[in-house]
Amino acid sequence: MSSSYAILCKIFKKDKFVVSELIAQLIGVGHQYKDGPEIFKGVTFNIEKGSFHFLTGPSGSGKSSLLKILYLGLKPVWGTLNLFGEDTLKMKPTLLPLIRQKIGVVFQEFKLLDHLKVVDNVSLPLRVRGLETRRGYKHAQELLDWVGLGDCFEKYPPSLSGGQKQRVAIARAIITRPQLLLADEPTGNMDDEMAMKLLHLFEELNKTGTAILIATHNQRLLEKLPYPQFTIKEGTIVKLITKKVR
Amino acid sequence: MRSRRDLPLKKDIAARFVPKIVALMVYLGTLCLVFTLFLVHSTHVWEKQFTMDLSIEIPIFSETPPNTIQSRVLELLNRTPGVRYATAVPQKEMATLFRSLLGEEVSTGLFPLPVIIDVSLDGKERIDTHVLETHLKNISPQIQLVDHRAWQSQVSNLIHTSVWLALIVAFLILFAALATTIFATRTSLLIHRQVIEVLSLVGAPNSYIATQFQMNAFKQGLLASSFGSFFAFLTFWGLSSLLEKVGFSFIVNSSFFFYAICIFVFAPFFTACAMMLSVRWAVMKALRI
Repeated sequence: MSSSYAILCKIFKKDKFVVSELIAQLIGVGHQYKDGPEIFKGVTFNIEKGSFHFLTGPSGSGKSSLLKILYLGLKPVWGTLNLFGEDTLKMKPTLLPLIRQKIGVVFQEFKLLDHLKVVDNVSLPLRVRGLETRRGYKHAQELLDWVGLGDCFEKYPPSLSGGQKQRVAIARAIITRPQLLLADEPTGNMDDEMAMKLLHLFEELNKTGTAILIATHNQRLLEKLPYPQFTIKEGTIVKLITKKVR
Repeated sequence: MRSRRDLPLKKDIAARFVPKIVALMVYLGTLCLVFTLFLVHSTHVWEKQFTMDLSIEIPIFSETPPNTIQSRVLELLNRTPGVRYATAVPQKEMATLFRSLLGEEVSTGLFPLPVIIDVSLDGKERIDTHVLETHLKNISPQIQLVDHRAWQSQVSNLIHTSVWLALIVAFLILFAALATTIFATRTSLLIHRQVIEVLSLVGAPNSYIATQFQMNAFKQGLLASSFGSFFAFLTFWGLSSLLEKVGFSFIVNSSFFFYAICIFVFAPFFTACAMMLSVRWAVMKALRI
């Protein structure tokens, strides 16, 4: 039994974890940008298969950095991060794409490719996995219809509004039905109606077994969907269990 | 192959000058290789034609008549081990040689011509030219022995050095073309780093990204080097026609022509493949960091 695993068992007062049910394990994770202040430290929590969490905290508390660590865009300065049973700090670099293929990410700044059509942006993760373009387009069309952008198939991202770009980014993140979906302020550019619609889409995806972690500071959203919250407070994580009221 | 067009490499500003440089490099490189080939073939033809190893000049003004000296020299040479044959150059041929030196107007009949004996060695036995020269001097002290092997060897060495130099120049040209491609690729990686980041975040392996770069490099390289090679062929053709007109045959033999055409045909493929591999190497190396 590895020491990090033993610590986790001790923290969560469990004899053992069913590893296959665990999507992510963060043990004492901390981060600090070069020459900057410590953003967070000793962050320990786990994300289980099919779970739905919000990640909250004040601006600058490190929500985006924590998500970045989770999608392996950033290496934590301290601690251990296990994703899908792999210790990400010790794993072979060749495994990195395979791990990332299991994660869908909705970026705050969308990260759409302006030179590609909307349909190509959405079907990009499928193309990367080797699916032929035509089949990728079919999936993309279905998703674009669902997010209300069926008529934007042939458009290019620069011609879309902020909300539309957000929806394209969401469609791209979920097209592969990832095991873990990370979303950084996914409803930041949307009205409440569209925000709720998209969150219901996340709920649907969650029902299929996808673990979801949404970073947000939208209080109305948190009130309407009272899922458990991880809150970054004074550089560390506090888990708030909220009873779901419907 | 599946269409991969996630990176806007066709509109790449960094790589815009690369095809022009590659075309120029291939133009110079193929001409350099063809010149090397010409040297190799010419040397081969010349070495085959050159059968004379030694020559002996019999003086005209001597107490003993030249004919007597000639027969005594030939007799000595035919006795000497290692001599394949020894023949006197006919006076008619000598007159032709002198006419080419002095001009058609000067009649060679006005002055006596020296007697030259060509000696070909069989190469099986080593001949000591000093001993031979001593024997010849005993016949007539004015006899001159010229050993052609020394300067033949010098010329041959010079040609071989030129061949190696030309090959090194061709290699340096290829190296320069590849280095340019690698530098352009590195710049291109910086320009497209955001797209590469997105591709990487959606799970694209480094090889997926490298494939896009390498396919673009192959297409660009093939097109550019085809242009370069085509213009090199035109230059070769023009040059050989021009030299043909002034009485110098540039196309020394059919095998030279065949190999020259092979160079023009295969140089673009070779360059494109080399570019493709070097770009892949550069991208994979950059993405590993």
